[in-house]
Amino acid sequence: MRKQRFGLLASLSVAALILGACQGTGPGTGSGSQGPTSDLKIGLVTDVGTLDDKNFNQFSWEGAKQGAQAIGAPEPQSVVTTASADYAKNIQSFVDQDYDIIVTVGFALGNDTTKAAKANPNIKFIGVDQGLCVTESGDPDPDFGCKGDAAKLLPNYQGLVFKEQQPGYLAGIVAASISKSGHIAAIGGTKVVPAVANYIAGYANGAMSVNPDIKVEQQFVSEAPDNAAFNDPAGGKAFAEQLLAQNPDVDVLFQVAGKTGNGVLQAACDANIHAIGVDVDQHESTPESAKCIVTSAEKKLTKAVSDAIKRVADGSDKGGTVPLDITTDSIGLAPFYDAQSLITPDIQSKIDAAIKGLKDGSIDPCSPTACV
Amino acid sequence: MNLRRTLSLVTIPLLAIVLALIVGAVVIIASSPLVSGHLDLVLPLRAYAALVSGAFGTVNGLIQTIVSASPLILAGLAVSIGFKAGLFNIGAQGQFLVGAVAAAAVGAGLAHAPAPVAIGVSILAALVAGAVYGFIPGFLKAFTGAHEVVTTIMLNYIAIQFVAYLITGPLRATGATFARSPSVGAAELPVLIGRNGHLGILFALVAVPIAWWLLYRTTIGFEVRTVGANPDAARYAGMSPRWIVIATMTVCGLLAGLAGAGEILGITGYMPAGYSTNVGFDGITVALLGRANPIGILFGGLLLGAMRAGSNLMQIQAGVPVQMIDVLQGVILFFLAAELVVRYVFRVRAARAQVTELQTVSRSYGQQTTP
Repeated sequence: MRKQRFGLLASLSVAALILGACQGTGPGTGSGSQGPTSDLKIGLVTDVGTLDDKNFNQFSWEGAKQGAQAIGAPEPQSVVTTASADYAKNIQSFVDQDYDIIVTVGFALGNDTTKAAKANPNIKFIGVDQGLCVTESGDPDPDFGCKGDAAKLLPNYQGLVFKEQQPGYLAGIVAASISKSGHIAAIGGTKVVPAVANYIAGYANGAMSVNPDIKVEQQFVSEAPDNAAFNDPAGGKAFAEQLLAQNPDVDVLFQVAGKTGNGVLQAACDANIHAIGVDVDQHESTPESAKCIVTSAEKKLTKAVSDAIKRVADGSDKGGTVPLDITTDSIGLAPFYDAQSLITPDIQSKIDAAIKGLKDGSIDPCSPTACV
Repeated sequence: MNLRRTLSLVTIPLLAIVLALIVGAVVIIASSPLVSGHLDLVLPLRAYAALVSGAFGTVNGLIQTIVSASPLILAGLAVSIGFKAGLFNIGAQGQFLVGAVAAAAVGAGLAHAPAPVAIGVSILAALVAGAVYGFIPGFLKAFTGAHEVVTTIMLNYIAIQFVAYLITGPLRATGATFARSPSVGAAELPVLIGRNGHLGILFALVAVPIAWWLLYRTTIGFEVRTVGANPDAARYAGMSPRWIVIATMTVCGLLAGLAGAGEILGITGYMPAGYSTNVGFDGITVALLGRANPIGILFGGLLLGAMRAGSNLMQIQAGVPVQMIDVLQGVILFFLAAELVVRYVFRVRAARAQVTELQTVSRSYGQQTTP
């Protein structure tokens, strides 16, 4: 029913476009079909979980819907993954149904998306949070040497990654500006994961740009990217409590530790200090800690996915790893919500200046603390 | 087995499926405003039609059904052989995971070895790991009386944490941006049929007749069933219930471990730290659907596998989320367990008194059946 209705809408829209081209003005078909139209079928495969997880799945799905609307394509369809063994099967089901664009969400789907992109060169793939690493034949590289040129070998596969140091930098400005004690902290899962190190380097640099004398406590839960680093909220809470016990004047805490970090947020709430979330808008994704979350250093997944779809539609898409940054507003700060009152006009102007500087390149978020 | 008895065995599972489809239809209609924008009475038909066409409509769909069914059949056997000996093995999930991680570890180590060696040794490792993981609760039951329901549930958690430790620690692939084991390379199972019908589906299809033969045509199978029916009588007849319990649980673990090997070597090719699966628990549903009979389990596994394989098309074509499958499966399990309700609704008379897998489930905490 739904499919038919959109099919009808699409054909009406196409008719409208043709008529419009002939007569100079389109007659319009009612429900927002005056913009561009496209018959691209868009499918999205989630990582294990749910479509409304207020996290990667949901924000990527919003992006797919926005992208479809922007190019005038039929409403996208989703398949929710329920087990790790099903990634390939779920991607394949969209291939079998002749979909034109397939979005896969999360690094765990990178391997199977790479295989599917190689096997189906006529279908466009968009991988969220997936850096490409292929052999010279375009297969997933089992040794992670990444010798193959993904952009050439898989021109139909955009792997979207984000420059974490930039939202980290903005978070640092907020933290240093609202800190009364001049002592702030960041807790990372482990420093050996580049994304974590870059978020925190940007954070420290951003904070120093506001207050050169600020003390930025940087601690890491684990030596390795293991369970303790990213999957252990209770451990994260205990870790943060210890940090706060040793540094009682710390009054802003930035977490870069996945689910472990959700415990860090709770510890900040318990200690009645400010917290800053990571990756997604944690005010929404972790409502239990919303009252102390000032903002989040955010990957704007909705925008990123929507933009990638638009690139496919207008033919400007390039394959390979696509690093996204602030110039396309693909990263940034999440809304302040209740914490808006903390953000004085003076602080807001500092944030705006930093965004401008990051965009035009006059600010280096990796200085003085270097990124990796 | 005569026709009459077969009929009485399959009646309840079939009726449970019918009832589940009806309940599922009600759920789909109730939630149809979210899909169609209005109360859509034909949505269940469109959803079920898409489900069936996804699972059986194409050759690839059919192969996917068998691929999805294979681990469920093995896990179903792992649960049902326990039932035969009066044991409720809730540990198939843990046994599956240790089998999977063993295959991933050994496969990674032999990634550059000749394929037959790499495959053979990796599978052997999974069999041994699963068997050991089944042996533990069997041994505890036989020699301390610790109830297998309790110990296997606890061992499931240990398996999850153990796998996470291995993959994030010693087994972690260097260079990977997230925690996963290295690729299994040469140990990857060859595709025999279609685009993804891997060797692992043969394991399941071969395990079914072997399990049937062992249970119904050998002395040990007779002893297993006797211990399940009445441990005291078995002991009186000169059997050793202790060893039967240990041997049964070991074989259960071995089968579940084999299922794990098939999934890692045949499908993913590596194991991520957050490997998410429900095969071990779905095995309980399969075992109950198949009335703990290997032939029944073949069909029970195929049914659940078909639902897994067809669910994507159901979501793509009818807009009904794949989680509907979990609803159906849950309702099937409910009606299987609530056999009395089904008998009442359809006025089916009970079969002659005999020890059934259902009694094993329901008496798990009541009568202690220490061998």
